Amino acid sequence: MPILDQYTQYQISDLIEACASYWELRGVAPGSRNEMRLELEQHVTQAVRDGKSLEAVIGPNPPAFAEAWAREMRPRIFRGGIVVLPALVYALSVVSTTALIQQLLAHSPSFTFTLFTAYLLISSGLLALLIPLSGFLAPRIRTRQGRVTLLCALVVLVVLALREAGMRVNWSMALLNWSWPLTLVLFALAAFLYSLEYWRTANRERTSSAGRVPLVRSVMAFVGSVAVFDVMLFVGSVAVFNVCTLAGKLL
Amino acid sequence: MEVIVETRSTQLLKGTLDMCLLATIAQRPCYGYEMVQRLTQQGLALVSEGSIYPLLSRLQQRGYIEGYLVPSTDGPPRKYYRLQPEGTKQLEQWQAEWETFAQAVEQILKGERFDADPRSVHAISDLRPH
Repeated sequence: MPILDQYTQYQISDLIEACASYWELRGVAPGSRNEMRLELEQHVTQAVRDGKSLEAVIGPNPPAFAEAWAREMRPRIFRGGIVVLPALVYALSVVSTTALIQQLLAHSPSFTFTLFTAYLLISSGLLALLIPLSGFLAPRIRTRQGRVTLLCALVVLVVLALREAGMRVNWSMALLNWSWPLTLVLFALAAFLYSLEYWRTANRERTSSAGRVPLVRSVMAFVGSVAVFDVMLFVGSVAVFNVCTLAGKLL
Repeated sequence: MEVIVETRSTQLLKGTLDMCLLATIAQRPCYGYEMVQRLTQQGLALVSEGSIYPLLSRLQQRGYIEGYLVPSTDGPPRKYYRLQPEGTKQLEQWQAEWETFAQAVEQILKGERFDADPRSVHAISDLRPH
């Protein structure tokens, strides 16, 4: 049995990941999703070992293939609807922790939610969605670095396009301003919505063949991911600021 | 011309793939890649092999086939499909429909019924522009 090289293995795993992420977005039950993922991975691996291309298995349009299969699984949720509650939980958690950190570190009685923070939050959320789906490009762009480079180039291109279009935006414009009691309320709301999401996921998993994730592990994973998101938001804000400054100088 | 022939055979295969899959599974339980190999051996080459999976899911949802996991010695378990009683009935119905359809097409292509009814020839000649 021929051994696949690293690039091909990355190609396959990225493509499978993209399909699985898409099925999750479409609301396919976790048990069915795992079986679909397993079947596709085994088929693609065997086909590639037999000298076939990825296109020979999933066709020229990978998202269309993923959608065709998802449709047959009769998902009960509208397209992308499954991410609404988790996205709200993440957004509230990130905003409340950011506000809390700022209010504690800067000893500030209030927190200002600027247009720039809103832009970063939305673009980070979109990127978090797009990065797993970038595996759909795997049949065309063979290397993982190539796919990541294309995504980064797209982000820079959007910034440059906005600048070129002459958009003069006051990024520091305050959208909302609140004191620390409201931060605590937001924090509590995020915790409540998180428990609601956990209950919903646990119910869905109970009806499928997938195992239920323990509450402690789920909470730890969530807190960890919010912390990473906070750090990424901070690093992202510095990066976007520098890119904007550089683009401004170049143009 | 080659492209036209390929498109027609692809379209024909699209319309009959679910039936072919059901017939393949009826022979013996098998997994996805094995089905593709068996179809290819019979002369039916698929443009995209993965197109069998949405159809397999549909057949499973309708209760014609059942999927089950079989432990594998060289990796994770493999999903096999086997025929269900409802699938046997459906296959018989599809086979009967296909035989009627294929017979009708064959007769039209050979012009058998056309020659047998002279009134039809007369009717067509009347439609010609004067």
